[in-house]
Amino acid sequence: MELKLILSIRADSMSMFSKFLLAGLFVIAQAALAPAAAGAEDSVSEIRFDNHHFAPQTLTVAAGQPLMIKVVNSSKETIEFESFRLNREVAMTPGETITLRLPALSPGSYDFYDDFHQDVPEGAIVAK
Amino acid sequence: MAGMAVLAALFAAQLVPVERTNPPSSGALSAPPRIEATLKRACYDCHSNETRWSWYSRIAPVSWLLVRDVTLGRKEVNFSEWGSYYPATRRRKLEWIGRALREEKMPPWHYRLMHPGTRLTEADKAELEEWIESALATPSAQRSK
Repeated sequence: MELKLILSIRADSMSMFSKFLLAGLFVIAQAALAPAAAGAEDSVSEIRFDNHHFAPQTLTVAAGQPLMIKVVNSSKETIEFESFRLNREVAMTPGETITLRLPALSPGSYDFYDDFHQDVPEGAIVAK
Repeated sequence: MAGMAVLAALFAAQLVPVERTNPPSSGALSAPPRIEATLKRACYDCHSNETRWSWYSRIAPVSWLLVRDVTLGRKEVNFSEWGSYYPATRRRKLEWIGRALREEKMPPWHYRLMHPGTRLTEADKAELEEWIESALATPSAQRSK
């Protein structure tokens, strides 16, 4: 009876130990991955629309890795940020900010433009 | 009591003015007759200045939604203003039209539901895609009238 009790306590403590071990490994893994995640967030690029222009007009990004692009409409007009190659079209009211999540791009140039104002010079995202 | 309030709100909504306009054309699209007929049947209500405003476009709040859809549709592509587009703009519009056809995004399902006659057959789509391809092959994309 005593032996059974000791064994069950030991089994319980082993399982507790396993849980602690797993939790510890999880915390270590999170800590190890955190810099990479922070790096990904840091790589957000920004395109601003104002005075009938996109700035920067050419945005160079790293090819082969997913990216986020924040588009800010600082103008007083509604625009449509559009790119056929990127398959994106988003109407933006004055003052609106959007974040585009793009998959890893192959090297090349991806033009974008304001579809509501054809006289706005088009821009390009260049993946290198 | 609540029913009366809804009725009153609906009645008040009818008093809000909405503009159902059909401005004059400024360079309509010139395409083969069959293509023009298909576009007029399936696309022109939202993508031209020749909108056929249906009876329910006079009843709020449906009228507000319709006017908003037509306004946005004309901004996206307006076949009545095709001639005012730069060649690069025409090219882009044609590319997007082609994609919308392939992905069956146009005409939108809710519009097709209300207007069964606007559905595109496989033959219609094939003709439109062929027209788009040939138009994109020309340097200035498809010209206007």
